[in-house]
Amino acid sequence: MQLTYLEAIRQGIWEEMERDPTVFCLGEDIGIYGGAFKVTDGFIDRFGPERVIDTPIAESAIVGAAFGASLTGMRPVAEFQFMDFIPCAMNQISNMVAKTHYLWGAPAPLVLRGPSGGYVHGGPFHSQNPEMWFVHNPGLKVICPATPYDAKGLIKAAIRDNNPCVFFEHKYLYRRIKGEVPTDDYVVPIGKAQVAREGKDLSIITYAAMVHIAFEAAEILSEEGIDLEILDLRTVSPLDRDAIVATVKKTNKVIILHEHSRTGGLAGEITAIINEEAFDDLDGPIVRIAGLDSAIPFSPPQEHHYLPKLEDVVRESRRLKAY
Amino acid sequence: MARALWPSRMDDCATEKAIRKPSRFPGSRVTINRAPAAPPDMGNNKKKSKHSSNGHRGGGGAPVRPVERSSSGGNHSKKGKGSSNLRTYSIPDFRLEHPDFTVHQSTDKNGHVRYEVTGDLDAAVPPIRESKCLDQQQAVQIYRYMMLNRKMEMALENLYKQGKVVGGVYFGLGQEACSCASAYALDKDDWFAPMIRNQGSLLVRGFRARDTMMQYMAKADSPTHGRDGTSHFGDIEKRNMVSPISMLGDLIPVMSGVALGARLQGRNIAVMTYIGDGGQSTGVTYEGINFAAVQNLGLVLIVESNEWAYSTPSEMQYRCKDLAERAVGYGIPGVIVDGTDACQVYDAAREAVERAHRGEGPTLIEAKMMRMKGHAIHDSASYVPRPLFDFWKKRDPIARFENYLVCKKKWLTGKENAELVAEVERVIEEEREVAVNSPMPTPESAEGGVYCENGCHEIKPKYGRPKAKKGTAAYKETEAAVHLK
Ligand SMILES: Cc1ncc(C[n+]2csc(CCOP(=O)(O)OP(=O)(O)O)c2C)c(N)n1
Ligand SMILES: [Mg+2]
Repeated sequence: MQLTYLEAIRQGIWEEMERDPTVFCLGEDIGIYGGAFKVTDGFIDRFGPERVIDTPIAESAIVGAAFGASLTGMRPVAEFQFMDFIPCAMNQISNMVAKTHYLWGAPAPLVLRGPSGGYVHGGPFHSQNPEMWFVHNPGLKVICPATPYDAKGLIKAAIRDNNPCVFFEHKYLYRRIKGEVPTDDYVVPIGKAQVAREGKDLSIITYAAMVHIAFEAAEILSEEGIDLEILDLRTVSPLDRDAIVATVKKTNKVIILHEHSRTGGLAGEITAIINEEAFDDLDGPIVRIAGLDSAIPFSPPQEHHYLPKLEDVVRESRRLKAY
Repeated sequence: MARALWPSRMDDCATEKAIRKPSRFPGSRVTINRAPAAPPDMGNNKKKSKHSSNGHRGGGGAPVRPVERSSSGGNHSKKGKGSSNLRTYSIPDFRLEHPDFTVHQSTDKNGHVRYEVTGDLDAAVPPIRESKCLDQQQAVQIYRYMMLNRKMEMALENLYKQGKVVGGVYFGLGQEACSCASAYALDKDDWFAPMIRNQGSLLVRGFRARDTMMQYMAKADSPTHGRDGTSHFGDIEKRNMVSPISMLGDLIPVMSGVALGARLQGRNIAVMTYIGDGGQSTGVTYEGINFAAVQNLGLVLIVESNEWAYSTPSEMQYRCKDLAERAVGYGIPGVIVDGTDACQVYDAAREAVERAHRGEGPTLIEAKMMRMKGHAIHDSASYVPRPLFDFWKKRDPIARFENYLVCKKKWLTGKENAELVAEVERVIEEEREVAVNSPMPTPESAEGGVYCENGCHEIKPKYGRPKAKKGTAAYKETEAAVHLK
């Protein structure tokens, strides 16, 4: 079945709610309105206001309550209207939820999900990619799917996982991409990257919306005889070190591409992993392509300048290939 | 300017026959504190500071609480201070009507969930309340700002339809009296921070319609030069305005801090900001108001109770009857006004501003009204029961104020009114023209400005160098026990 990215996530949550009565949703405007992006559209009519809970505007309370409910064996799925608002709950997430299993042996099977990402002129408070804040919090699993298939399989896996999962849905992809999604029940394993395109000349390590830019670049470059491999991380914490090492050993040249700001970004961590495990396999410098080190601006020309672009990937690939 | 008094004073309420809901506190009685306003915490420039920055409650700077049996000294929060353990509070209510309906979720037999409204939706429209302080010129000015506010938003809607707006448009339709009359109550040196619907407040504070229009169109000449949109801009140099961020509630402690900074420089100023019936659910709202209360800072918080927060009715945001009741818990005055009545909004806001100037601390003003459109332009508000719109449509703040000025007060002739409207339309058209013709920013203008460097700002105390008091103690190495070794 061909589904949009958005519809794939909706189906995933719906099926889990059908299957497991301990799954419930909470968040702002998710009930009658169906959520700002309509991910839970129609859920309240099926599962009732008891399991599709419109909360006050109180992100800390949403996370705290989700965690509390999870302690009783429930599996809450909490929506953030935009992931930009997730810092309002940061203390609950970082100091309560993430540390609970390590410190006092209590699992926290909850999902915190919502839209993130730019390219839609949302401005500095509706376009952010805050995944790195969570990567730096051991105990959380951080998931950033790029395709409808993965989005559905990963949201289902996140709901079934016994650990707190932060699930980033790229809002640019919601209705822009479609892909094949099986009708049978399936999950995509958390923590496993996937080679989205096999290639031999150089590897682009990336995730979420950037995977699609990498594909466009691969098409352009293939006409020049440059064969890109694309590694879609899918989960950014814990990282799939084996997959990263494997692609480096195969192509010996790496570009790391992500949307969030360069400094302190995921590329630095991946570079360190390569340094530790595949240094001798490198035939050129590790290249990073990332957002600028500033807030993400609103005006389209500025936003375009801020964000990674197809031209950047093409240019840097050519440059690296020449090594 | 005439001293505005809370209408909670016995005489006032008695004459207005304000219906007050029974107190929610068991065994309590609603009585009025007639104690005179306490002396200011800190004098104005002329006086020497007597302020101690912490724990200064009860005495000098304690807020006037519209509470309690006057025999006990009028301070309910300090245990053992009063002679009575009886807790009695009142929430002054300026309104001339008390809409009586509720919105609730209902599920039909197919499981379909929607909102319903029940109650009295046919009540007669109340008149505009006579202002205790507005004179003719001021009233007409406020009216003009409200008109500018509305016409600007109509122009924005058209710009959106023409595809010139980046992103969405937010409207303050039905809330113009609240935005404009509140901001009008500020003095020049006071500070304010709008929320997204307070586009009228910006006009009152001297910004031009083009500023907001260019923000929406993400233009190079917009106040943020394209970096942000909507009312997300500020100006700490000329207009004492703090820029909002999207995250609701975060301005409240910030504005408290502005008042704190000014006080440390010897000035009691009023700092006004707004929060919605939805936004007030955030934890930071509590922190910010409580901070202002404890520090006795001149926060004037306008709580915009407009029935909805995006698609969520206020019934699902809080369980007290009126948000003004929250003031009781903070130990500050809370009042209710009809947010569609510019006179009520102004009088309450002006009184709060004057209290702030006298160093008497924060005030919470709940303005009751209705968000007359969807959350933003994309939202048709199909979840709102239609009778609710019909009810509030009859209470249009501009039409009623116009009628008050033209027919009741005769402060404007029909001709003058028509001229005023034509002038406003002309201004908006000129502003629109300028805004539309501003270029888009260059891509490279995304860069730079992350840090304050190379002399881009000179930072100095706005109200004068703080006069730092020093004790006699000299510096010595500490030997105190510490938490962790
Ligand atoms: C902390 C936070 N959470 C969520 C949002 C998303 N959001 C923006 S406006 C809004 C509704 C606000 O309602 P209210 O405070 O009543 O203001 P109104 O729109 O009625 O003026 C929501 C949920 C936000 N801006 N900030
Ligand atoms: Mg509201």
